[in-house]
Formats: sequence, C-alpha cells, structure tokens
Amino acid sequence: MDLKLSPFPTLEKQMPIEHGRFEAYVDNGGTVLAVGGPDYCVIAGDTRMSDGGYGIQTRKYTKIFQLTDKCVLATSGMQADTLALQKRLKTMLSHYQKEHGKPMSTPAIAQFLSNTLYYKRFFPYYTFNIVAGIDEKGEGCAWTYDAVGSHERVKYASQGSGNQLVIPLLDNQVAKFNQQIIAGGNVTSQQAVSFVKDAITSAGERDIYTGDYADIVVVDKDGVHWEKFELKLD
Amino acid sequence: MESPEWMNNAVDLGTSIMAVEFDGGVVMGADSRTTTGAYIANRVTNKITPIHEKIYCCRSGSAADTQAISDYVRYYLEMHTSELCDDPDVKTAASLFQLLCYSNKNNLMAGIIVAGWDKHQGGSVYNISLGGSMVKQPFAIGGSGSTYIYGYCDSKFKPNMTKDECVEFVQNSLALAMFRDGSSGGVIRLCIIDKNGVERRMIPGNKLPRFWEG
Amino acid sequence: MEELNRGGFTFDLCSRNTLLEKTGLKMPGFLKTGTTIVGVVYKDGVVLGADTRATEGPIVADKNCEKIHYIADNIYCCGAGTAADTEMTTALISSKLKLHKLSTGKEPRVVTALTMLKQMLFKYQGHVSAALILGGIDINGPSLHTIYPHGSTDQLPYVTMGSGSLAAMAVFEAKYKTDMTRDEAIQLVAEAISSGVFNDLGSGSNVDVTVIAKEGVTVLRNYLTPNERKFRGPEYIFPIGTTPVLSKLVAPLSSKVIIEDVVMS
Repeated sequence: MDLKLSPFPTLEKQMPIEHGRFEAYVDNGGTVLAVGGPDYCVIAGDTRMSDGGYGIQTRKYTKIFQLTDKCVLATSGMQADTLALQKRLKTMLSHYQKEHGKPMSTPAIAQFLSNTLYYKRFFPYYTFNIVAGIDEKGEGCAWTYDAVGSHERVKYASQGSGNQLVIPLLDNQVAKFNQQIIAGGNVTSQQAVSFVKDAITSAGERDIYTGDYADIVVVDKDGVHWEKFELKLD
Repeated sequence: MESPEWMNNAVDLGTSIMAVEFDGGVVMGADSRTTTGAYIANRVTNKITPIHEKIYCCRSGSAADTQAISDYVRYYLEMHTSELCDDPDVKTAASLFQLLCYSNKNNLMAGIIVAGWDKHQGGSVYNISLGGSMVKQPFAIGGSGSTYIYGYCDSKFKPNMTKDECVEFVQNSLALAMFRDGSSGGVIRLCIIDKNGVERRMIPGNKLPRFWEG
Repeated sequence: MEELNRGGFTFDLCSRNTLLEKTGLKMPGFLKTGTTIVGVVYKDGVVLGADTRATEGPIVADKNCEKIHYIADNIYCCGAGTAADTEMTTALISSKLKLHKLSTGKEPRVVTALTMLKQMLFKYQGHVSAALILGGIDINGPSLHTIYPHGSTDQLPYVTMGSGSLAAMAVFEAKYKTDMTRDEAIQLVAEAISSGVFNDLGSGSNVDVTVIAKEGVTVLRNYLTPNERKFRGPEYIFPIGTTPVLSKLVAPLSSKVIIEDVVMS
C-alpha cells in the first residue's frame, strides 16, 4: 500500500471567547418622511429609538432637526451619528450666517449635507437623511440621501425602517403612479398633514421599530410649525 | 435586548452539586440555579432527582440531556425491580447511568452524581463524569461551581463523619461554590438518605453559611 | 462505533443547511412569534396568558394571532418560537393525548402531556423550536410547566417565556402572591403580558387569557385590546377607470365546460 503523509487535519479555528465586541454601528430604527407642496412642505418622523434588537431605549427621541427658518433635517439610522451630524451642520450653518449675514438657502444646505456625508466616505455617518423645507422661490422641496452623500431632489421621500411600507403609499397618493383619472387639484397643507399622519400610523401598525409618538412638522413662508402626534406604544 | 437567546442556547445547569457518604447513608446537596445564557430561567430548581425509593441523582450539564437520561434510568430501574422482586442496588443505577452516558457520549452533556442506600453496601456515592466513566467515591463534587472548592473539600473531608457532620460539610462547601460561581446560586437543596428513607431539606438564600466576603 | 446503526434520527441535513448558509444561500424566513407568554397557578386553577403579535423579521405578520393552544379539555399550552413548530407540536400531542384518553378511558393528566412533549422535543435535539408553557388541572390539582426547545422542563408556580419573558417576569417577581383568587390571577397575568406588549418589540397588540379551573375552562380571547389604531385619514377613493383597462374578453361559461350525458349500459 502506498503510504503518504497527509497534512494534519485542521479543526475549525478555535476563537477566543469574545465579550461584547465593540460595534461601530447600530441601527436605532425609526421612520421619517416628507411631502413637498406648492408653497409648503410636511415632514414627519416617529420618536421611537430602539436598541437594534427587541428593546426600546426611549419613546421620545425626535428625529427631526431644525436647520433654518425654511429648512429641517429628518434623520433615521444611528442616533449617535445623527447627533454628531446635527452638531456639525449647526456649527457650519452658524459660521455661514456670520460670514454672509444671511442663513443658507435650502438648496445650498442640501448640497452642503452631501459634501459633509461624502467627507466621511470611508467611515460614514450611519444616517439616512431627508432635507426638506421651502426653496428661494418659496416652493416646497425635499432631498433624499444615502449614507455617503448621494442625493436627489424629489417631490416626496421616506427613509428608515418603515421606508418600504410608506413608499408605495406615497407613490400612489402623491405621485399618482399608474392612475388614469387623477382627481383633485392642488393638495392643501392640511390635506398633506392628514395624509402624512395616516402614512406614519400605518407604518407603526406593521413595523416594530416605528411607534410611540410622531413629530409632524410643516414648513411654509411663516416658518417651521411643530405638532406632536400619538402612535401606538406596542 | 438582543433576539431571544434561549431559542438557540441550550438550557444549562451551571451547577454546584455534591454527595457524601456516612455510615449507613448519604447526604446529597445541590444549588438551585438554572440558566439560559445570562438569564436565570429557574431560581428554585430541584437538581436532586429521584431514581428509585432510596436512590437519587444530582444532575449537572445540559438540563434536557440529564432529564432525559434520568427518565430512562428511572424507567429501566423500575422494570429491573419488577423482575428482581427486590430493591435495586445503587451500583446498578449508577451502571445504567454510565451505560447511557458512555454509549451516547458524542451527543450528551451530562455530569451526574448517583447516590443512595441499599442493603448490600449501605450508603454509597458514584460519580459519572462527562465521558461516561464511573468512580465510587467516599464523596463527590460536580458542576461548574465544584472547581472552586476542590481544595476546601479535600482539606475538610475526613472519613467516618456522622450524618450531621456530613450535612454541615455539604452546606459549607456548596455555599462557598455558589458564592464564587456566577452560574450557581439560589437555595441549597439537601437530600439525606438512609435505610429508613429520605429526608429533604432546603436552606434559603438568606440563611446560607457565610464566610469571608471581601 | 460510528458505523453501528443505532436507529434514531440523523441531523446531517441540518449541518448541510448551516454549511450552505455560510456559502451565501438564504433559508426562507419562518414566521416567528416573538412573543410574551405567561402562566400562573392560583388557589384552584391555572391562568395562561399570551400576546397576539406574530413577526417575520421586523415586520408584523399577524396582529391578532392565537398563541394559547388547546391540548385537552383540562389542559392548554402557550407557544413561543417558530409558529409552525408550536402549532404542529401542540396539535400532534393533543391528538396523541386524545387517543391515549380513548384507550385508557381516563381524563388525561398534565404530566402525560408534559412527558410526550419533552420526549418529542428531545428527539429533535432543539431543531423543532417550540418553547412552551403547559398548564392544566387533573386529579393532582392545578399545575404549570415550561418546556424548552431542547426538551428540558421545569415546574413552577409562575412562569414566562418568549422574547418578552424578562419584562413579564419582572411583574411576577414584584407582585406574585401564593393562593391568589381567580380575579387576582387574571389581573396579574394581564399586567405581565401588557408589560411584554409595551416593552418588547417582538410582542404587541392584544392580551389573550385562558383560565383553567376545576369547574371548566374560560377562554378570554382578546381580554385586553389596548392597541387599537389611533388615527385614520379620509377614505382613499378611486373612481372606476382609475386603473387602465388594456383589453376585455367575455367568454360564456358554456364554452369552457362540456356537459355530457352518459348512458349507463
């Protein structure tokens, strides 16, 4: 018989026991959405912050951040990165105000956020953003982003854990996709608020990471108007 | 909280168990903690399981495995008793445990101490370890907590102790093991077996013997 | 030793599946009942409780499912884990117990159901992921057990299971008393389930309660409904013609069905 030396059979590599390895990223969940109208913009975001698993860390964490009198930032994803991003934008916008003697316009903020996100291309902010408000002409506007700064101006947007539940609703009711008869003319801001409330309530019904309360924000020529709205607590 | 870990994790008896023989009987002892990962699934577990009238076993390792083995041995021993027309020996029970543990060693996580009284040997203690070996010992300790008290037990054990000395020895040893071992705790359950029968005792968590707690 | 045919199950396919998953194959997601289930023994019976949410990952698949299963007239069982596993195991044991009752002519005992369940789950070595709370009343009085997927069991006066078990157990450890009345026990169970419903994302919607007493069983389906939808916008109206009609064909049924008279010779 032919005897050959075969390599020593290697068992699966024994790993040392790891105790709670550091995770750079955690998804704290939540849903944000925005709908732009002719002279207003409605932005909504739930206030649940979860631990990435089955636990709730707080029921009252606001995902919407006011940048100027005409612009807000709605962010889902990781809360720590959200806070860092908000802090950075706030200081930079304040520098701009001091240098130019006027607040940055909403479209400029949109571009600036993209630059800020891309600056951290290889260690991104784990955040999914919507910038929304009114532009220089007073028209409602919204921009959506990925985590590293790719962005697009849109009429409506949604991001976060309930995104897939909300998007079809917005496609149907705002963009009126695949509809032969399109009833009704311009949507008023009250109608938009009612629709947005319905959308985020529905997301809360089926997405376990969306719930507790919601911030409903209306941006128009008079400024930024906040409303607290109840969702389910389960 | 992460996704429910008890779904994947087996229920473990991270345990401190012990048995000592005295002239005419045995004293068995165990803590009462059952854990799934870091969660205490049962804080008043009974790990001293009856196998026959005067034969009991202390279970350590996987709860599912040791319960299944005990159920089989109890059944086999009952059948054996019917054929024998007499009470079985402790050694017979221990051999049955060994048979199951040895022949299924690849699929089991079970460390068992079998002890009891029979008319041939009086009180006797058998230790069946993970691989299925069987050793008769004057006293035996087992489970994750036992590693902390080998030295203590070796120094405090002396042959021919009385029943009360044995009870004290078991209580003190287990209290020390439970204090150091995170996966042991709760109450101490005791089981004293002699020719007259079985006496069960429970020492609550706030009445355990106490030592240096620095 | 390995070549000996010992009978029993092999789990080769399970290890094959884990290997395939490492190569990137995704197994179909199963319906899990990320759950809160509880049970309490009171003076003369057992109260079982469950939430009604079933999840598939982060999505709520069923907002009002039933997790308290019938085993026998005097025995019920709450299930957590993979929905199919809990339903099939309880149904199987229920049927086996009925046959057992028919052959012995005696009322089934809780320990009989317990032994059948644990022996089945042990046989499957944890691959059948059913975590159960078994409660019932028999000649030995009321009793309550937990059964883990690997087949280990515990008997306790108050138990919880599922992803919300910690939230529910916190309530029990704070408020459980021995020899409670029926109403006190129902109240405590409802509070424990509610704790899971509100604090555990895997649990939600309504509270189901089942009371098993000597006099009989009371099924309190949707005992609490604390999670009704709070807001509904105006109706969405789609006039006829909203969806384009691309083509239209009306076929009479007679052209598709042939009716023949067969004369029997």
